[in-house]
Parts: sequence; C-alpha cells; structure tokens
Amino acid sequence: MKAFKTLTKPLNPLYMLVLFDILAFFLLYIRKTPFDTQALIVGGALLAGTLLIYILTGIFQLGDRYMLLITAMLISIGELILYRLDSSLGLKQAIWLGVSFLVYFLCYGLFGLITFWKRIIWVFPLLSVLLFLLTMVFGTTVNGSKNWIFIKGMSIQTSEIIKLLFVFFLACYYSQRERLMDKYPRIWVTLIFMMLSYTMMGLMILQREWGTPMLLFLVFTLMLYIFEKDLRLFLLNGIAAAAASAVGLLFVHHIRVRVEALVNPWKDIAGKGYQITQSLFAIGSGDFFGRGIGLGRPDFIPDVKTDFIFSAICEEMGMFGGAAVILLFLLLAYRGFKIALECSDTFYKALALGITLIFAFQAFIIIAGVIKLFLLTGITLPFISYGGSSMVVNFAAMGILQRIAALRETEGGC
Amino acid sequence: MKTDKKIVHALLVICLLFSMLIVYLTYFELFVKDKIISNSYNQRLNADNSSVLRGSILDRNGEVLAKSQFKGETQERVYPYGSLYSHIIGYNSRVYGKSLLEANYNDYLSNRYDAHTLMDILAKLEGFDPAGANLTLTLDHNLQAQAEKLMRNLKGAVVVMNPRTGEILAMVSKPDFDPTGSKLEASWRTLVESPDSPFLSRATQGLYAPGSTFKVVVSASALDHGLADKVYKDTGITTIDGKEFRNAGGKAYGEINLSQALSVSSNTYFARLGTDLGASALKKAAEAFGLEKDVPFELPFNKSRFPYKEMSQTDLASVGIGQGKILVTPLHMAMIASSIANDGVMMQPWLVKDIKTVNDITLQEGKPRVLAQPISAQTAQALKEMMVDVVKSGTGKKAAIKGITVAGKTGTAQNETTGGKKEQEHAWFIGFAPADDPTVAVAVIAEYSGSSGGDLCAPIAGKLMAAWLNGK
Repeated sequence: MKAFKTLTKPLNPLYMLVLFDILAFFLLYIRKTPFDTQALIVGGALLAGTLLIYILTGIFQLGDRYMLLITAMLISIGELILYRLDSSLGLKQAIWLGVSFLVYFLCYGLFGLITFWKRIIWVFPLLSVLLFLLTMVFGTTVNGSKNWIFIKGMSIQTSEIIKLLFVFFLACYYSQRERLMDKYPRIWVTLIFMMLSYTMMGLMILQREWGTPMLLFLVFTLMLYIFEKDLRLFLLNGIAAAAASAVGLLFVHHIRVRVEALVNPWKDIAGKGYQITQSLFAIGSGDFFGRGIGLGRPDFIPDVKTDFIFSAICEEMGMFGGAAVILLFLLLAYRGFKIALECSDTFYKALALGITLIFAFQAFIIIAGVIKLFLLTGITLPFISYGGSSMVVNFAAMGILQRIAALRETEGGC
Repeated sequence: MKTDKKIVHALLVICLLFSMLIVYLTYFELFVKDKIISNSYNQRLNADNSSVLRGSILDRNGEVLAKSQFKGETQERVYPYGSLYSHIIGYNSRVYGKSLLEANYNDYLSNRYDAHTLMDILAKLEGFDPAGANLTLTLDHNLQAQAEKLMRNLKGAVVVMNPRTGEILAMVSKPDFDPTGSKLEASWRTLVESPDSPFLSRATQGLYAPGSTFKVVVSASALDHGLADKVYKDTGITTIDGKEFRNAGGKAYGEINLSQALSVSSNTYFARLGTDLGASALKKAAEAFGLEKDVPFELPFNKSRFPYKEMSQTDLASVGIGQGKILVTPLHMAMIASSIANDGVMMQPWLVKDIKTVNDITLQEGKPRVLAQPISAQTAQALKEMMVDVVKSGTGKKAAIKGITVAGKTGTAQNETTGGKKEQEHAWFIGFAPADDPTVAVAVIAEYSGSSGGDLCAPIAGKLMAAWLNGK
C-alpha cells in the first residue's frame, strides 16, 4: 500500500516530526527534579495521536498529508513551549488538542455529508449577529475585549467562530453571485454583500476587538481582488479602509495608543510600550540560536501563553527557531493555495482560499505585531498559542480544508 | 483562468509578507538587539537563572573565595574576604552586572555552558541538585592575604607567580573595593567618581613607566650583542643630544661594566648603552619580551607599550633607562622576571586551575603553556647572576631572604606627573628566588609613592617570596 511504502522512506518528513517530538518531550522529562513523567505521557499521547491521524489519512486518502505534517509540527512546537512555560497549562492544551482531533474528523465528515452549503448563505451573517448579541448580553471582558462567553466555567471566544462563519459567507456568495445577480439588480446584490461583510467585521469592533476584524479585513480584501471581475470594488474597499484608519487614528484612543507603542515604545516603556519592549528583550536575548528550552526567561513577557508565544519561541529556540515557524506557516499557506488552485468549483475554491488566508494572515499579523513590524493586536498564533476555542476552530477549519483536498483527489475535481 | 492567476498573485503577496518577517527578524538580531537588551527594564539582567545555585570560586587549596546562597527566592553572592579578591573575581551585582572572572566564566558559574544538560543528568543520577560549576584558581589565599596586608596603605600592585608554570599565586591591586552586592550598590557612585580609580585592576590594566626594572631587558640585549664587558666611565651625569641623564642622587661610579652598572642601577651607563645598541636592537629586545603583544589571560590584560616608530638619540637613551614612552603592566613585569628565572622561557600566565561540576567532573583544566623564548638559556643565566648581585650588594639589598639566594632589580620611575619632582615617582621591584632553581617570581609597584624601589618595594617582594618558599 502506498501509505506504508512512504513510511519506509528514511527521508519521510514524518521522521523529522517524530525525532523532534522525542527530543522535545525527553528534554521536558529531564528538566525537573524529580523527572517529570507527565511530560513523557503528554508527549507520547501527542505523538500517538499525530501518527494515528497520519496513518489514517494515508490509508483512507483523507486529504493532504504534507499539510497534516506541517500542522503537527506547529502543534508540537506549541505544546513544547506551553508545557515548558507551565506544565499544567501544557496538560490542558494537550486535552484541548485531543478534543480538536475529534472536531477535526467531525468537521471532515460533516462537511462532506452536507451538500446544501450554497443554499444557506443567509445563515452565516445571521449566526454572527446572534453570537454578537449573545456576547453583548452574557459576555465577559478579557483584556479589554468583550468577546468571551463563559459557560459552566468554560470560556468560548466568539470571534474565533465568527472568523469561520465569515469565510463560509464569502465562499457562498461567490459561488451564488451569478445566480443572485440574474434574479436581482446587480447593484443591490453587491451593496447588500458589502454591507453584510462590513457588518460582520464591524460587530467585533463594537466589542473592542481589533485583531480579528483586521484579519478578516485583509482576507476580505484579497478575496475581493481574486473573485471580483471588476477591480473597482477592490479599490473602493481600499479607499474606505484608508479613510477608516485615518479616522481611527485621529479619534479612537485605543488605536492611537497602539500606534504610539509601535512608533516609539521606549518613550513610555513602563506603560504603553511595556508589552512590546518586553517582547523585544526576549527576542533579542535569544539571538540567532536561542538560549535553549527552559533556559530563557519568557515568564517576563506579558501574555506569553497566547499573543506573545512567538517571542518565547524566539527567546528559547532563537531567531532560527522563529524563522522555522514562519516558514512552516508559509508552507502551510502554499499547500492551501495549491488545493484552492486545483478546485474547479467556486465554492470549494473560495472556501479553501478563505481558510488558508485566515491561517496565513493571522500568523502574519501576530508575528509582525510582537516583533514590532506592525500594529500589535491581540490574536492567537494559529496551532501554537494556548486557547481552546482557537485551537478547536482552527482544527475545524483544517478538517474542512482537508475534506476539500480529499474531494479534489478522489472525485476527480470538486 | 483569470481567477487562478489572481490566486497566484495572492500567494506572492503572502510570500512577500512572510519574507519581510524573516528579513526584519534578521535585521533586528544583527543591528538592533545589542542596543536594547541592556535596557534596565529587561528583567533578565537581574534575574539570571536564579533557580540554579551559582558556582563557587576557590583558591588552590580549596579555600572558598566566593560562593552563593539562597535567601528566599533569590540568591546572594558572598565574598568571605571582602575586597581581597575584588580585582580578580570582580563583582556579580543585580544592578551593575558582572565583571572579571564573574563575567568571563559566567557560563560555567551559572550553569549555562554547552554540555550542562548532560552534566545535570549525571549530577541528578548521583543525587546532586544541578548547580553552577566551581572554579579553582591558582591563587594561594595565605599569600594573597599577606600581599594585601603589605600593600594596604599604598597604591599599586603586586604579582606573585610561579616562573616555571606561569601560575599566578597572588595578585593584588590597590586601592580595591568590596564587591558584595549591597555594599557595591551603596558605594557605586563614590567608587566610580573616586580619583583613586578603585575599579582599575592595576596589576593587569595599569600601564606604568618601568624605570630601571627595564634595564634587565636592555642588559639582555647587550649580552646578546656581546657588550657584556663594555666599560663606560660613569661621572654621575651624561648629556645626550642636549638632554641630561643623571644617576639617582647624582652619584658617580667611575669605570664600570654591565654587571656593576645593573647592580648600582647607573643611569648614565644605560643611557649610553641604549644609544650604542640602537633602535632596532632595543625594539627587538622589547618585542621579544612581549611589549606591544597581546597576551592571552583570563582577565582583561592591557598590552605593554613600545610606541616608537622612529627613535632619536634621546629616545634611545631614555628607553635604555626604562623611561620615555614605554609603558608596562605589573603582571607583564612579573612575566619578564619569570622568563629570566625560567631559563629564558616565558610562560603564559594563568589563573584558573580547573573547572569542576558539582559532582566533581572536570570540565576544563589549566595547563602550563610556553608563550615565547625571549632570550637564550645562557643569556638568562648571565642575567640571573647579575640580578643576584643587585640583591647581594646593589640597590636591592632589602629583598634578601636569609639562607636563600634572591635575584632582583629595583626601579624608580619618573612619570607624567613628576616633572622632575621626586615625591611622585613610581617605586618598582622585580625578582625571583631561589636563584639557582627559581620557584617564585614577583613584581611590585607602588605608584606615585616618591620612595625608591629598593626602599619600599624590595622588602615587600622579599617577604612575599620568603612566605611562599617557607610556606611550602
């Protein structure tokens, strides 16, 4: 069988992953006195889970194996760093990973079974508004953004779900556009589409959340560029964004503070510039090769488990470790684009592209933020940062992307 | 298809954005990080790996010179002998960072050296808590304490070393300071602003005119050029190119040869010898003895200076008596004395005997290393005999030790502040013992003391050599 044949190749990238996991969790095992057996269990479970998914994917042709390996590498790096930062957090994340694996297969199966996606375009904006209202009523403010719902001690970040709803909405629209435009006046269709899109992004701004709207806006802009035959809409959107940024810069305190922190964080190092300078200290003290796992002091970085996890990676694995993570995301994006390019059905094409762009831009925004290349906004680094909602949603998206990849392979085009 | 082409454009945008991240990170690590990580808001500077106990520093007999202990969550560094080792061990301050051995061996002391992960496992298997590695120095605590006592009211430096191996046995620079964290932090400003420069490690970084002690180098050159029997008439004063050179006290010694001239430290003799030897011979001799050369050492070590390109007649005469623009460090003078003691072979000085883990695995071991051979064994032997005469019957009598033959040379050096005034001169002594089989060499300087090397420094050197030879 093909799946087993590839396993015997010594240069199979799978073995790099296995080697990395073994080294990483052995290191965590011997780091403490007495030795930390829990690290071995977590590492073993993670490795077993990844191998199982890899083999199942190989045997039953469940999508793109490379994308799976890249994702597995990212979650291994994330789990290593999180466990090193706080072993109880590492354990929780491992449990979330287990849940995410299940969600991955669930979404993989469901997405294939449901064939009426294109006909329920109105569901996605509606669900977004519903989620928004839910958080307005029951929500809790975390780090200045009111986008969390706590249910029986479990917290759900609704913006993570809206992210996925948004790309579904875009995919549905572009697959249905011709039909809708035949039925209704073209200008009205376009107007309503733009309005709904901006509403979905704008709702989150009302919750004082900046990262996800910016992410969705970037995805939206590229989707406009790719799928609109007429570039005027793309340009109009750009002008609107420029105007909105200017207004934001002038009148919104939140944005001004962040721009000041980007331009000169040293001026107010104890206040506005604190987070970003602490992150820069960490990246700087890591130098090119890093201080070594467990040898740095990433505990000095604020929010290191979520937003600033990339700084911790740079401190302990060095700039080369950080560059490896960046390249993994680039490879992931490449595989995603490849899937999108090979689809002929617009819905699948747009959906694959939307999900891929979400992964890529989200990684870019947060990494650029913590290295002070761009405005810092609080979003997670996909597959690496701590967080149940984000991990589960990312795996759900990955499951869908993999199903599209599988459809493309098995049914001769999707 | 047009959409697919645009998708490729989007992919290119993503590629561009991600390469920007990598380029910026590289730029940051190369050009930005050095400027920012020393910012006082970087808490790493203060909280260096505080969970692992910092290693100790011991003398050659296991006496603890520096150790760390836990005080609640944090560690504190304890220096049982206060200021005694401040110019060797340096300080390890939460606020002001680290210096000297504390800085240079920080990786070992704080358990960050390359193989520490493996060593930690071995330590754990033997039931030890992983801790920083311990440094054992070549220093002898008793000798160091005595040297400090003898120098207590002076400014200057003492270096005692083993001429056969290059091991540093004692090294004191005065004034010094208490490196204990709380005291250092309380007195930092005073120390930094003090005109006495207590932070200057004079033994290794102080540059002084060598004065008459440099006559041994000039003598070595004379011996190599067959001028051992050269006789000049010493009238107490000689004029070279319009500049006067006088003997100390204006004494005239009559017709003297090289050996007699060294013994009484005749300036008129050596000034003329300098002009007779000429620029290339003097320069060659100076370079052979290591002036203008960087010498590897565990502490910052300034190279001694011989900054002449062209030399006039007065320059030659000045260098002949160890004045002019030449500058040396006390440690370097001890190395010069050692090389004469060690049959002309100059050993590399060293301070760290070994580095061992908490469970006694040796990570690094110091070894005697030959640095150079400035002179032949015969020349060394001849110089040695001349230097024995200096202590037996010349200017260095006060360095004599009962029952042991001592070789030495005194020096009294004019410097930038004297301007002809005696009360600002540096007093020097270099020497070694026992002359027939030397095991200890010394250099002593008392800066701006106004005394002569024979009166002030020779007794200090004698006492230290006696202490070492009798103590063993």
